[in-house]
Parts: sequence; structure tokens; C-alpha cells
Amino acid sequence: MAGAWTELSNNMILAMPLPTEGSANADVKACYHCGEQVPAGADFGIVIADQFRPMCCPGCRAVAGLISASGLENFYQQRTAYNERPSERAPDTLEQYLIYDDPALSTTFTETSADGEVTAKLLLGGISCAACTWLIEQTMARLPGVSEALVNLQQNRLDIRFQPDHIKLSEIFAQVDALGYRGRPFHTSTQRQQVADEYRLELRRLAVAGLGMMQVGMFAVALHAGDIQGIESQYQGLLRWVSLLVASFVVVFSSRPFFITAWRHLKQGALVMDLPVALAIGLAWLASIWATVTGTGQVYFDSVVMFTFFLLLGRFFERRASQRHNLTWFDAQETLPDAVTTRRENQWLVVPRIQLQAGDILLVRAGDTVPVDAQVIAGQSAMREDTFNGEHLPRTVAPGDTIYASTLNTETALEARVLGNYLESRLAALQRSVEQAQGEKPRLARLADHVASWFVGAVLLLTAATALVWSQLDPDQAFWIALSVLVISCPCALALATPAALTSAASALRANGVIVRGENALEALSRATHLIFDKTGTLTEGTLAITDVHTLGDFSREEVLATGAALQKYSRHPVGTAFAAIDPSSGLENVRYQVGAGLEAKQGSHTFRMGSEPFCRTLAPTLPPPPSEPLYWVALCRDEMPLAWIGLDDRTRPEAADVVAAAQDAGLAVSLLTGDSSAQGPRLANTLGITDVATGLEPQQKMTHVRALQAAGAVVVMVGDGLNDAPVLSLADASFAVPGASDLARAQADFVLVGGDLHSVTSTWRKARQCRRVINQNFAWALAYNASAIPLAALGFVPPWAAAIGMSASSLLVVANSLRLNSNP
Amino acid sequence: MDSLYLLIPIALLFCAIAIKLLLWAIDNGQYEDLDKESWRILADDETPATPDDTNSDNTRPPAEKP
Repeated sequence: MAGAWTELSNNMILAMPLPTEGSANADVKACYHCGEQVPAGADFGIVIADQFRPMCCPGCRAVAGLISASGLENFYQQRTAYNERPSERAPDTLEQYLIYDDPALSTTFTETSADGEVTAKLLLGGISCAACTWLIEQTMARLPGVSEALVNLQQNRLDIRFQPDHIKLSEIFAQVDALGYRGRPFHTSTQRQQVADEYRLELRRLAVAGLGMMQVGMFAVALHAGDIQGIESQYQGLLRWVSLLVASFVVVFSSRPFFITAWRHLKQGALVMDLPVALAIGLAWLASIWATVTGTGQVYFDSVVMFTFFLLLGRFFERRASQRHNLTWFDAQETLPDAVTTRRENQWLVVPRIQLQAGDILLVRAGDTVPVDAQVIAGQSAMREDTFNGEHLPRTVAPGDTIYASTLNTETALEARVLGNYLESRLAALQRSVEQAQGEKPRLARLADHVASWFVGAVLLLTAATALVWSQLDPDQAFWIALSVLVISCPCALALATPAALTSAASALRANGVIVRGENALEALSRATHLIFDKTGTLTEGTLAITDVHTLGDFSREEVLATGAALQKYSRHPVGTAFAAIDPSSGLENVRYQVGAGLEAKQGSHTFRMGSEPFCRTLAPTLPPPPSEPLYWVALCRDEMPLAWIGLDDRTRPEAADVVAAAQDAGLAVSLLTGDSSAQGPRLANTLGITDVATGLEPQQKMTHVRALQAAGAVVVMVGDGLNDAPVLSLADASFAVPGASDLARAQADFVLVGGDLHSVTSTWRKARQCRRVINQNFAWALAYNASAIPLAALGFVPPWAAAIGMSASSLLVVANSLRLNSNP
Repeated sequence: MDSLYLLIPIALLFCAIAIKLLLWAIDNGQYEDLDKESWRILADDETPATPDDTNSDNTRPPAEKP
């Protein structure tokens, strides 16, 4: 029902680990394909590689069957994470992709080469590990007409080259879909391009610095040896000159970003870590050139290039850790279907969405996502609007009502008149408030920059003092000793202290199913004072489950549920999913669906009705009012006899109470902000022991709430899941998207939980605190090293070779200390 | 020791060639996807041959469909 369109092409690598063989609970069978629990009574298993494998749903069976039939069952041995559960597919899988054969649309993501071959770029959703790339490449390369298929795992992108005479784009999309992945056109955005360019540039700088360091290091060994045992001045000159050549190339080519950042911040009066870095590199380099040209003093070319290389390496790893999941920016517009059905000259035509204009008549079938804001003109249905309010129960719409882009039509087909283009839609407004929130996100001053600001002052002061004192004692030596103070105080370890710790903590978290995306998120999280939860889908599971059955007639509880399941099979309403795992009774026929009311069916001479109170009461006037518990009540009756009230509820996540209690014990103020205006919110808060509750909030009101806290000096951590949480997630100092969150929420969150449960929120918080401790230790060590080395240098006891050794040793120690974070808690 | 005047420039030449090659590889996109390649080199690449596997040579466009 959901179709490929409502599931966005999400680009998170799902790091949910596979359980080891035999460790799984024997009673609960996990689906061989997606790892989800196989519902009781489900019988979808198939034989793969001579062994029977349980499957949870027809979707998984279809995908696994295809993989096995193509002889690619090796995939299951190779993969390191479960696949995503494929969406239930509509019968017209190929049909929904036919739109991409239209040249108007396909040229936006394809290129045609001179020999007639077409290269298309597809963005893939659902890639969970590297083995998926193998599976896709193998399957695609076998299609007739395809000459090359390459998957880029980092960007979740498929580049496919094919002969348009032999295979159509729509067939390629359908094949990707059949494998259980979600394909969409990959549009190169400037932002995407910029990141790719920056990545290459950084790698180039790193490569040059690395090779340069080896060369200069080689010459430096000879020079240092010469310092100790003597060297003829012509060879010393030669070695210095070639070192000068290589080091200058490295400084000009690779060290540039340090100078640029330092200068940019200096102009604004900010002292950042790059300033002492740039000073050390720049002054040591210039002084060494001076020494080489005049043939006096000492050269520090090896320290200069080594320093550059170490820092670039540290930053490269840090950026890679945070950016590997950052490559796709979320554009809400991309969640809307590309193909829409509209009426042109009295017939329904499928056209690209971008061609829609205000006033066009639109057909929205059951299960479709609404492509644009529109007004219903015919039909009656229920719309799931969790995009805007986070709730999963649909709203009933009738002619005259407005339906919004990105909401889901759950019941029957609707005809609607388009109200305007995408930019005027409610979804676009949501996207704009996300962007606004990004700009407002408070920037906590980085610890490193804080340290740097007074470190610079101290070092410059000491250098000046040294130069002054030595100019009185021995004017010839003064310059060189002052320089050695500057080089020895070179803040290599200091500058590496933060990136090393952050990278290490991020990789440890990733192994536990937490993806760290935010740049400054770990530091912000470690200082958190307030923890705010969303309700539906975050503290609760976000799906309805049967919690209570009040039998009224002569049907037992089991009979009531079996009859309910038989009826609900025909419904797309969220209530239906609660009955999906129950064995339906047989014999019911002529099931009819009445929008906004319920279901009716015949069994022999009996009529069954299930649904709302008035709907059932017209058949069974004696139906008592629903029980008083605040549940979602559904009535069931046979002819004039009421049979039962069935109570459904959005079940609280089992670990929610633990997590809330743990956070409160740790001294965090916990609150609940929900879009739901019913009594459920306060009731849930009460059970979990949360005192601060606000209900019925629009996305913008949630932002106001967080803004007020931040203005009072709080560091706010937000945990959410829905599209409607996205603005507040991007506004909070640190934010979490829970497992199963919508893609817009994931794209805004600093931490994305992909496996496990809410416990990850508190464990991540502990890791962040640990990370902060390690950073502090690193700073303490780096400063202690500088504090003991600077006096020695000021006294003139430190030759260049000792400076080089001291610098590398102190940096290694910082890195080794940071690696401790990698061990699991 | 005069040989240094010859050997060091040669070493620098090799270094320049190495840098040039590396930069070419980076620009060629060979380092774009470090995650996949690090997995692939360890993965078993033996795909069981299937009867319809004649097209798996993916450097040439396949023959006309029968």
C-alpha cells in the first residue's frame, strides 16, 4: 500500500548488526531477509541454498526468491546487516515507473554518449551494507542491454550504462524495485557537487602532504645526523635547498586552508585553533627559508610538513566520520510522486508532476501520496497526515476539504482540484521552517577554539619575552631561540585533541547503531540540560495494537478477534494493521467498506458490522457506549446483537520508562512535546513520570517552546521521529531521530538511531560525556607537554631534531588516548 | 658524495611522478568510495555461473535478444 513513493530514498547506512548464528531467541523467528519478527501464523518461508528460511511477508519472499533464482544467494553470506523490509508493492509496479521513459523527465538525470548509449544516475534507498552494492551490480549487469552498472556506496548512487534500444529506463527502475531497493532519479545539486569537490580537494592536499613529508623526512634524517656528527657545508646547503623546495610546495599546496580559516576568523576578531596552527607553520617555514638562504641558524622543514600532514589527516578522518551519512540533503519535494494522474480532455492521463497547474483535476487513488495541495471535488476518504501532526489516525475528508501534499490517501480514490504549485503548499512551508531553524541553531563555542584563544596569547607572549631576554644576553642567538620556542609550542597535539576523540567516539557509536551526523553534536550533547521527547512514534511505537476487548454478546474473545481480522483484511485503515497477525475466521463475504464509518459483511443470513459507534448502532440499537478508558474504541456487532468493544492503543515502547528514569537520575530535565491533543499525552507522561507536558502543538509551536528554553540558557536535546518534528530537531542543540523515523527527521537529526531502541539515547549521552573527558585529558596532556618543553626551548636546549620527535610523540599519545573511546561501553 | 647531486634530483623526479599519479587517481574518482572497495577486496567474488549468465561480461554490449 505504501508504495515506493512514500518511503523516501533514505541514505542512511543501516548498521543494524546481524545476530550470530544460534543466538536468536528460539521462539521468535526472524525473517531471513529483513530480520524482523515473523508474525505468528505467517507462512512465507522459502528454501534458499538448500535450507528452509522463514520470511515475514510476501514482499521479503518475492525479493529473496528473485535473489535466489538469479543464483546470487551468496549475497546472504556476504552481507553484514539485514536488508530493509521491502514495501508492499502495488500490482502495477512497472506502470508507476513508465513516467521515466518520458524524455522530458529522463534527460534530467541521464546522459547520452556519442555511440548512443545512455548513462543514468539513480539514487538508491534501502542499501544496508556493502554486499548490497554487489547484489545490485550483479543483477543489473545481467539485464540485456546493460553494459555497465556501478554502485557508489558512499553516495548510495547507481550509475548504469545501457542501450536504449534494448532496455527502457522504466524496466531498470522496476528491477531495482524488485530487488527490494527504492530507486529515484539522482539529481546533481550544487550542494552535493560542492561536497564531492571538497572531498577531492582535501584528498589531494593530504596526498601531497604525505608524499612531501616522506621526502623532507628523508632529507631531515641526513641533516639531523649532520647536526650531531658533523656535515660538510656544501651538502648541508644542498639538503636544505631541496627540503626548501619540497616543503614550500607542501605549504603552498596543502596548508592553505589553515591560513584561510585563521585569517577569516581573525578579521572577525575570533581566535580559533587554526590561528596557532597557521602561525607555527608560517613562521617556522619563513624562518627556515631565511636560514637556508643565508646559510645560518636552523631549519624546521620536516616539522612544518609533518605538522601539516598530521593535521590534515586528523581533519580528513573527522569529516569522513561525520559526512559519510551526510551526502544527501533532504528535499521534501523529492518525497512527492513524480507521476500523477490528471484529467486532460476527458480522459485520465499520467503526466509528470511538474506539469501540474492550479485548476487541474487530479486523481488520487487509495494508497497514493498526494502530489500537491488540492481541494476534493468528488469522493470521500481518510487521509493520513502524520507529516504535519505526527498522528497515525487518518482524518476523514469529503468534497470541499483540502488535502495536502505528502499526506497519504488510505481509503478510496478521490478527485481533487489542484490549488497551486509546490512552493505554495503546506509541505513547502514546513521545509522552509526547517531551513529557518537550521540558521537559528545555537552555535556552542567549541572547546578547542576556547583553548586556542588563550593559548595563542600565551605563546606569543612567551616568544616575545624569550626574544627580549636573549637579545640582551646573546643577540646572535635571540632570533633562533625565539623561533625554537614557537616551533616547540607548535600545537599539533592540541589541534589533534578534538578531532581524534570525536572520530573515535563516532566510530564506536556507529558500531552500536548510532550514526553521528551533526558537526558539533557530541560536544553539545555532553553539556545537555534538557531532554525533550516527542510522543507518537518516539516514546510509543507509532502503530495501533489491540490492548483491550470487552465482549458483550455470546462471542468469546478469540471469536471476536478472528471475526475482526476477517473484516479488517479488506481495510487500509491503520486499525487493520493491529489485526494483521490474527488468524481470520472464514465464511464472511460481500465485505463492503464505508468511508469514515467501518466495514460490513454477510455470513449466511447474518450481517456483521465493525467500526464507529453510530455506524454499529444503526444495526444494533442496544450497543452500549464505549468503556471509559481513553483508548481508540471499535465496535463489533452481528445483526442487532452487539458483540464487543475492541480497544486499541499506540503501545508505549517497552524501554521508554527506563530511559526516562535514567535521564532524570542523571539530572536531565525531561519533557514531552506532542502534536496530539488528546488525553493520551498527559496519561503517558504520568506513567513515565514526566511532569513537563505540552500537547496539541504545531511544528512551529514546538520550536517556540525550544527557543524559550534556549533563551534561558538551557542546552536542549530533542528526540523525535516525524516529518513534523524536523524543524524542532534542527533547532535543538543536539537531536536524535529514533529507529523508523521519517527521512526528513533523519536528515535534520544530529544522531540517527538505526538499530536498537531508546536506550541508545542515554548510552549516546554517556559516550558524549566520556568523549568530553577524553578531550579534556588530551588538552591537559598537550598543554603539559608545551608547558615543560617551552622553558627548555627558551633556554636554548632544544635542537630541531628534538622538536620533531617531541611533536610526533605528543601527537601519538593524544591519538592513543582517543582510541580508548573505541572500546564499547 | 658528489653522486648526491644526481641522486637527489632523481628522487625528487620520482616523488613528482608519484604525486602526479596519485592526483590523477583522485581526480579519476578512484578514492570516491572507500567503504565499498575496502569490503570488496575481502569478499568472495565467485559468482555461481548460471545458464543465462552469458551477458555477465559487462564491458561489451550484449548481442541482440533472441
